[in-house]
Amino acid sequence: MANEYFVRMGDGERISMTKEQIIADLQEGSADAADLGDIPELSGDELDKLADIIMDSNRIVSVEPGMEIPVTHDIGSIRIDGDQGNSGVGIPASRLVGCMMHERGFGADTMELGHIDYSFKPVKPVIAQECQTMESCQQNMTVPLLYGAMPNLGLYYTPDGPFENPGDLMKAFKINEARESIEHAGDHATRDITWIMQHLQKVGCDGVNFDTIGAAGDGDVYASLYAMKALREEFPNIYIEAGMAGECTLGMHGELEFEGNVLAGLWPHEQVPLAEEAGANMFGPVCNTNTSKSSAWNLARSVTFTKAAVEASNIPCHVDMGMGVGGIPMFETPPIDAVTRASKAMVEIAGVDGI
Amino acid sequence: MCFFYSSTIELFKEVVTTTKEELYKELSDAIVSCKKDQVLAAVEKARGELEAPDIIENGLAAGMNEVGTLFERGKLFLPHVMMAAEAMQAGVDELKDDMPESSNKAASVIVNGTVEGDVHDIGKAIVSTMLQTSGFEVYDIGRDAPVADFIAKIKETNANMVGISALMTTTLPGQKEVIEALEEEGLRDKVKVMVGGAPATNAWANKIGADCYAENATEAVNKAKELLL
Repeated sequence: MANEYFVRMGDGERISMTKEQIIADLQEGSADAADLGDIPELSGDELDKLADIIMDSNRIVSVEPGMEIPVTHDIGSIRIDGDQGNSGVGIPASRLVGCMMHERGFGADTMELGHIDYSFKPVKPVIAQECQTMESCQQNMTVPLLYGAMPNLGLYYTPDGPFENPGDLMKAFKINEARESIEHAGDHATRDITWIMQHLQKVGCDGVNFDTIGAAGDGDVYASLYAMKALREEFPNIYIEAGMAGECTLGMHGELEFEGNVLAGLWPHEQVPLAEEAGANMFGPVCNTNTSKSSAWNLARSVTFTKAAVEASNIPCHVDMGMGVGGIPMFETPPIDAVTRASKAMVEIAGVDGI
Repeated sequence: MCFFYSSTIELFKEVVTTTKEELYKELSDAIVSCKKDQVLAAVEKARGELEAPDIIENGLAAGMNEVGTLFERGKLFLPHVMMAAEAMQAGVDELKDDMPESSNKAASVIVNGTVEGDVHDIGKAIVSTMLQTSGFEVYDIGRDAPVADFIAKIKETNANMVGISALMTTTLPGQKEVIEALEEEGLRDKVKVMVGGAPATNAWANKIGADCYAENATEAVNKAKELLL
């Protein structure tokens, strides 16, 4: 036991591994990312550094002085007042109070206002309330305050929306109809997101966070990129964050394009140039955690994907870190040992600009 | 003379083997092309040379496995998987009359759904699709499905397996409730249980007494084959 180190599985379970086992998992995780994304594996030195971070005897680790990075927050203030299975802690507080707690209490470098449904579509009927709240927040806060929501194309399909569910159509081999449904939903989402942000810009909103782009596949990405393009054209100074949902763009449609580029099957280093072209100021690469693998395997895989995205990017990359992403275990309250190790690795090895 | 004769036989065997392998590859490649007419042409060509079960198992099914791998690697997408599945079905239908009597066994039946209170649909729908394309008879009861709906559909279809999806930590206990209902109904011994969804894990599956946990759609197919075939 003397030569074993405390690590975690992807589901947060505490396990112990020898140095040799940790290094083997690091090599395997990095190789998996390299194979899938056709990107370089981490070098020997980088794997050694990653092993040192994982095997650090302290419970909490941090970056070296001078390597501190900005921290942006998503999910609005739902983290505080949310209590319906949405990662909140159920403390009754207004959204203004929630945003100010993040700014003044938690040290957030940027913050966002978000609706309890946290998708763009349901914001339409309550746009006046969102504008009012945004204005109040802007008058009381200093850090950049964006408006955040998920493109969530799922809400445009039956039973929540007007277009037939492509999943059902696919199962009935109605492939062309499924594709048409995705295209219609994508166009509607682009229109809705643009319309919502046009209103919020009028009350002094600093920008928009597209959260979990691609959660509903390539149609989601299509809608988001064209909304970014429209917003950039209309508001040259708007700040646009583009945060992804997973390391690979799921091809629900398979042939959707943005400016001639097929969107399905893109890995983080291929996603970022398109976000940049669409007008994003910042890109949030994501790598999902495999709960059946160790934190060493997951972190090496995640760092490998993220490092390639950072190198391919001309805009800042703020990696998505949290429950089940960025090498962090899939656990509602992610263990701090795993969170700090993953964060340090992302900064010092992947070279991210923020989290 | 004997040596020459023996070598000729070996050479002949090799030629036959190569041809067989080529036919398997043609069938498999036709499935990967996702084109029904190519699959039907490959089946027609192979028909005189190979037995029907051999064509399906080593040619068409091998091609579907390759499609699954390419889907997992982001090289083929959901519509392609469906087109390949449709093409494979056409190929199998074409061979129906050539199949031996003993092979007409019923397909394993799987009921798939997302638990009550959880509206996530896409991941579960992909799993249903992949299971369907792998030859299982799949009944997808959708999302936000009450426990009673799972049980009713399992009884109605005489299912061998239930796939229970949950995408939120707060709805995860719904998977346990379905298992408890199966036990109460006396169905647990005849119905295998697979759980999945972002917050589900191997440890969770063990804790609630599920038979397996699947990380993704490909793993779901592999686990279903392990448990049912």
